[in-house]
Amino acid sequence: MLRNPEWHLLIVWYFFLGGIAGGAYFTAAIADNFGGSRDRGVVRTGYILSLLMIAVCGMLLILDLGTPSRFLNMVMHFKFWDPMSIGAWVLGVFGLFAFLSSALSLSADEGRAALRRKISLVGTIFGFFLASYTGVLLSATALPFWSDARLMGALFLASGASTGMAAISLLLYLSGDSAGEGFKKVKRADRFAILFEIAVLVLFLVVLGSAAAPLLSGHLAPLFWGGLVVLGLVIPLLLDLLGGLRIPAAVPAALVLLGGFILRYVIVMTHA
Amino acid sequence: MARTLAMFTDTSLCIGCRACQVACKQWNELPMEEPEWTGSYQNHAHFTDKTYRLVRFIEKPQANGELQWLLMSDVCKHCAQAGCLDACPTGAIYRTEYGTVNINQDVCNGCRYCVSSCPFGVVSFNHDTGRANKCTFCNDRIHNGLGPACAKTCPTESIQFGFRDELVAKAEKRVAKLKEMGYASAQLYGADSNSPLGGLNAFFLLLDKPATYNLPEKPLLPQRNVLVDSVLAVGAALLVGVGAVVSFRERGGKGADDA
Repeated sequence: MLRNPEWHLLIVWYFFLGGIAGGAYFTAAIADNFGGSRDRGVVRTGYILSLLMIAVCGMLLILDLGTPSRFLNMVMHFKFWDPMSIGAWVLGVFGLFAFLSSALSLSADEGRAALRRKISLVGTIFGFFLASYTGVLLSATALPFWSDARLMGALFLASGASTGMAAISLLLYLSGDSAGEGFKKVKRADRFAILFEIAVLVLFLVVLGSAAAPLLSGHLAPLFWGGLVVLGLVIPLLLDLLGGLRIPAAVPAALVLLGGFILRYVIVMTHA
Repeated sequence: MARTLAMFTDTSLCIGCRACQVACKQWNELPMEEPEWTGSYQNHAHFTDKTYRLVRFIEKPQANGELQWLLMSDVCKHCAQAGCLDACPTGAIYRTEYGTVNINQDVCNGCRYCVSSCPFGVVSFNHDTGRANKCTFCNDRIHNGLGPACAKTCPTESIQFGFRDELVAKAEKRVAKLKEMGYASAQLYGADSNSPLGGLNAFFLLLDKPATYNLPEKPLLPQRNVLVDSVLAVGAALLVGVGAVVSFRERGGKGADDA
């Protein structure tokens, strides 16, 4: 008999928000380096959002330990082959990058912008890591389904990118900045990310084969099919592709976020 | 490193008295737990944070309709390649100079990654201390030349403690003897250091296939997945990155609208 680690909602939230942090930072960095001045809203929103999410992530992890001060034990040791050890370190290092990028994005100075762009390219690597290592962490356990999955890190990364973009577009929409060029670009990038996530999810299930049963036919199956596949992926994609339905752009963005949460929920709760 | 110490549990000698289970509780000062109905004499169903030694009572139906009683005193395997040890992010789980695997309670921070990384479901989370627990091979005793409490107390020498190489040789002789006596399925589990997980420092002589004892046929090291999955995630990162660059790139080159 194998034993589950009793990871519950705090961990689900951490996985979800860590994905948003990584995805939002990456989106901002790409907009910063490859976009133009009209993308400034995306850049600033992405960096600051990632910084806030990282702060919440740190608190979630510390809360999950029961005794907060024991988090220090995690940073007094480093194991390069252990997802959790590197993850704890990367959370801190990425936080530093997000802080620098956020601070530099507040200034309009061109010299600072050049520095910010360089910093963001390195920070993106850590952001990608934060969004995906949680999947690798689950697959490096002894538990069936988790350890049978080969694309969990890739899936979490794709979901992190699309939820990060959805969160940025939702914030732009709420702040009344949804008419600009930047907003359109985020939507375009998110469309690609959702398509990519669907492709990875299909591959993920194919590789799992019969080991995918907890998702496809267990008690989590309705949530997986209804919440993630239909509400979180297919409907936002259709709304985006069809267009002109007079549905506020906030709706597909919120659905993508919901789907991202449900993805982490059904996977983590398989062994809860 | 000192010579590797090991425990050899010969299940063919086990009489199910549970003296090992009691001795373990006493020496390690583990509190009592509510008994539970498991469908047999076995108590508890599995290891807990307060039960490090557990006698398994397995009733196996025979061809003639009778039950064969298979008894096995189970314990942490102290794997040569230990999933819990590799998973531990704080370094609380360490290997002693005798080859055993221990959890330093002062360093453990209760992340529970080791719990899900044990291929045998041994490591348990203690909700009172907020830390992970398991058999220590009676670390305090073996460092004082006493041997683990369970092995010391076993009245039939079903549990034997000593140098690993000597015990393996002994175990191989015992299997040959049992086969001679007609126990065709008698086999060693985890004795060979070429076996999965590099061999187990608590290894067993079983009278049936491992699955009968709820042991995995081929226990695997969880960390085998880290490299492949990481490479796949990097591949995904590159593809997502390309998609975003294409979406954000300004027509007519970078910064065309900056002027």
